[in-house]
Amino acid sequence: MINFIQFTLTRAGLAIITLLLVCFIVFSLMELVPGTCAERYLAFKNTQGSQITYEDIEKEKIRLGLDKPFLYRYGKWVSNIVFNGDFGDSCILRMNINELLSGRFMLSLTICLVALIFSYLIAIPVGIISATTKYASLDNTLKFISYLGIALPNFLVALCIMLFMTVYYGDTMTGLFSQEYENEPWSTSKLFDFLSRAWLPIFVLGWNATAFALQTVRALMLDENDKLYVMAARARGISGMSLLWRYPAKHSLGPVINSIGFDLNRIFSALPIVALILILTEAGALLIEALARSNDQQLAGAIIFLLTATIVFVNFITDIILAIIDPRIRKGVMGGG
Amino acid sequence: MEVSNQKKEAYYTATQMQLVRTRFFGNRSAMIAGSILLFMIICSLFADFLSPYDPTIKGRDKDYENGAPQIPMFWDENGFSARPFLHTLEKYRGADTNFRWVYKVDTEKRRYVYFFVEGWEYKVFDFNINLPGKVLDFKISGFTFNTHLFGVEEGGIHIFGTDKAGKDLFSRTLSAIYISLAVGTLGVFISFVLSLIIGGISGYYGGWIDSVLQMFTDAIRTVPPIPLFMCLAAFAPLEWSSELRFFFISCLLGLISWPTLARRVRTHLLSERSQEYILAAKLCGASSTHIIVRHLLPSFTSYIIVDLVISFPYMLLSETALSFIGLGLREPVNSLGVLLQNATKADVLLNYQWYFIPVFFLVVLILTFVYVGDGLRDAADPHKVK
Repeated sequence: MINFIQFTLTRAGLAIITLLLVCFIVFSLMELVPGTCAERYLAFKNTQGSQITYEDIEKEKIRLGLDKPFLYRYGKWVSNIVFNGDFGDSCILRMNINELLSGRFMLSLTICLVALIFSYLIAIPVGIISATTKYASLDNTLKFISYLGIALPNFLVALCIMLFMTVYYGDTMTGLFSQEYENEPWSTSKLFDFLSRAWLPIFVLGWNATAFALQTVRALMLDENDKLYVMAARARGISGMSLLWRYPAKHSLGPVINSIGFDLNRIFSALPIVALILILTEAGALLIEALARSNDQQLAGAIIFLLTATIVFVNFITDIILAIIDPRIRKGVMGGG
Repeated sequence: MEVSNQKKEAYYTATQMQLVRTRFFGNRSAMIAGSILLFMIICSLFADFLSPYDPTIKGRDKDYENGAPQIPMFWDENGFSARPFLHTLEKYRGADTNFRWVYKVDTEKRRYVYFFVEGWEYKVFDFNINLPGKVLDFKISGFTFNTHLFGVEEGGIHIFGTDKAGKDLFSRTLSAIYISLAVGTLGVFISFVLSLIIGGISGYYGGWIDSVLQMFTDAIRTVPPIPLFMCLAAFAPLEWSSELRFFFISCLLGLISWPTLARRVRTHLLSERSQEYILAAKLCGASSTHIIVRHLLPSFTSYIIVDLVISFPYMLLSETALSFIGLGLREPVNSLGVLLQNATKADVLLNYQWYFIPVFFLVVLILTFVYVGDGLRDAADPHKVK
């Protein structure tokens, strides 16, 4: 037990170090962008008609603390996030980022997680079938569908479904809520409204993720299936589904759990573009807005930080789960046993 | 008996590369995908010769904007012709069409397609690289040609139709494939070099250097790539020239996608480092460089090649995604992403479906790459005895 706690703590420590490193990379990137937040804000004010002098910029810089050295500001940014959960203000929108992101990030996370679960629910059984089937044509078809999931750009799938819905049902399916629910508080009817629309991004993201997960499962099953212990089990007279579930499928579960974090990473990565097409009002769309249109580095940094923190957290959890369920790793962790 | 013995001997004496080749050629789907891929690459290399019009705004057809594809035909009501031809189109606007321009087909007038015709001028072996800094500029003026595979005598031939400025989509698609492949190649090359250096150092030296580098690699791997791309691509000022932008985007692709490959190189080196033949070489007094270049690198060349082919489609997809949201390449450069960007308007979906032809090529390109990569991976796997 002591060993296990030690293992958990080491993992947690590693996760925090990774997160700090990522923070540093993101923060340095934000710094490299030409022009500071003060300059950009005052340039914006200038377009509104007020006269801006050099002193105003300096004053604004001091107000925002931009006159301090780089490392000091990095430390402040991180400690604000860690201790106060405060991401500061958006540079262009002049709003507190926490307020801006509060509901939206949860929406993004929900969409991604549901897509992830959906993809694994399909990929695991289908991957096992694909790897063990006697019919080459079935295997080839499944392989082709999953490759198509990689090759078809997400936005194209989204666009085609949107067009189909518009032509046959007269509803464009854009956005996450119908108009009457847009600003309402959460209720059962709003939830149903959300589900009736959210299936489209979930489906689009899920297909792509399924394709990747399917390949992982299939490759692992093929590898395990040839091994001697499976042959030994077969010689003992076990066959069919019970053989698959008890031996090779169980063994290939480990790497599959391990890949969850990276699959989530991939889904997050694809989200902004799908959000752009479907005009979703969540964090992915906000990220594109911040990067491509308004160049709002504060906001972009906060979103990327949250995404990465989620992935680091998921990786940490999967590591712990693996240590608990996989006897080989458990032995390594606990020593003996 | 004699034959089978010879076969066996051939199998056991074959080099690794020969085995890989035999296994790859025996894989039907990979071979089909490979031929299609090769065909597309060759087409893109000879894009200028194959395209009847200049893919930039210079080659636009003022009289045929948003025009539908024109497919050459061999027969119509007036009979059969061995030389393919097109019907003449006339621009027409009147009260009956709600004063919108429409094209009327005049089936009486045929326009014949000719081969090896003269058209717009293009250059071969022409390099004009203009990067910041005088040292990096160099210029080689190549040969000028103006022969094209096909063309018609009067009017235009647009087998994939035209876009809203009247640019020929066939010519644009070909040049876009070329540009996208070039961006991908450059990106793969950069990530290859980076991963060899970082993975190599990490795997060969091990110890604390390995731990630090691995931590760094893992940190990069956890950031979602497309948002990271977007973040970096947002640096590129709008006033940059299209060549500079092209170079910048390729570098970005390379700079972000190295971790996966670096990890593979490291794992391989770590396991190979403790093998007896390396120890033998060390005992003979061989230097680190000698061991890396002569022994370690050759031991995994085939894996590296496979990994490079597998990572190629992701490069293409990333480039497409970046250009699609407007942070990657922009007009006047043609790339598959730029062409896709035009295809996403609802108005295009309903009225001008031929804008989607480049999308089809993108999908085929990625599919073939995935199949070829898959075939290569199976072929390079020494544990597969088939």
